[in-house]
Amino acid sequence: MTVRLTRKYGFAASHRLHSPALSDEENRRTYGKCDNPHGHGHNYEVELTVAGVVDAVTGRAANLEALDALARRVIREPFHHRNLNEEVTAFRTEVPTTENLTVEVERRVRAGWTEEIGARLEKIRIRETDRNICELSV
Amino acid sequence: MLISKKIEFAASHICRSAQLSDAENERVYGAAANPLGHGHNYVVEVAIEGEPDRVTGMILDLKQLKDILEERVMDVYDHRLLNREVTPFDKVVPTVENIAIDIWNRIEGHIPGARLYSVRVHETNELCVEYRGEK
Repeated sequence: MTVRLTRKYGFAASHRLHSPALSDEENRRTYGKCDNPHGHGHNYEVELTVAGVVDAVTGRAANLEALDALARRVIREPFHHRNLNEEVTAFRTEVPTTENLTVEVERRVRAGWTEEIGARLEKIRIRETDRNICELSV
Repeated sequence: MLISKKIEFAASHICRSAQLSDAENERVYGAAANPLGHGHNYVVEVAIEGEPDRVTGMILDLKQLKDILEERVMDVYDHRLLNREVTPFDKVVPTVENIAIDIWNRIEGHIPGARLYSVRVHETNELCVEYRGEK
C-alpha cells in the first residue's frame, strides 16, 4: 500500500529581496520591507513529502534516518544561520524569494537523493512565515 | 469538492517488529523502539469527496461524520496502548503509516453519500502520513 509521508525540517536564515535588474524604486515597490538593504530573517520550515510503499515487516514507507541525513546535509548545513544572498551561490544571481528558495532546495534534495531512502520525492513546501508558503510538485 | 474533519486522540505505542532483531529494531525505529512504549497526541484529518447537496449546501452532515469518527476511531484508539489494545497492531507495527491505513479501513464504506478521499495522520508536528486507499 502506498502512502505519502511528510517530514518537516527547519532552518533560520537571513535574506534581502532585491533584483539588480530593477531600479531602487521598482525594488521597493516589488518587495516592500523585504528590500531593506541590511537584510532580515525568517525561521523557515521545509516539508518534504515522499510517496512509498509500506514495508510489510517494518511498517515504514521510507527510511526516515536516511531522509533526515539528507535534509541535514542539503538543507540544514548549507542554509541554517546563513545569509542566503551572500553564502548560497544560487542567490548571488537569483533573488532569494520563497519561490526561488523552493526551486533551489528541490534541486539540492533531488541531487542528494539516495536509493536508501526507499521512497519517491513527491512535493516540497517551504513556509517562510505562517502566511507565506510555497509548494512545488516534483 | 473535498471537505475534511479533524479529530485528536492520545495513545501509546511500541515500534518493534518481532521479525527483526533488537539491533535492527533500534536501527529502524530509533527511540520509538523503546520496549516500555511512549505516546503521542495524534491528529487525524479525514477528507471526503462529494458535491454539495442543492438544498442543504452540504456534501455531508459533518455531525454524521463526527459520529462515525467517534465510534470507529476515537472509541477504539483514544487512551490506548495500540500494540495491545487495537487490532491489527497485535500483528503489524503501529507506525504512523499503518495507523493511517487502519483508520482508512475502519471508516471506508461507512460514510453515506460521499467518497472517502484521504486519511492524514500527524504523529508529531514534524511527521505526517497521508493514505488515499491505494492498494
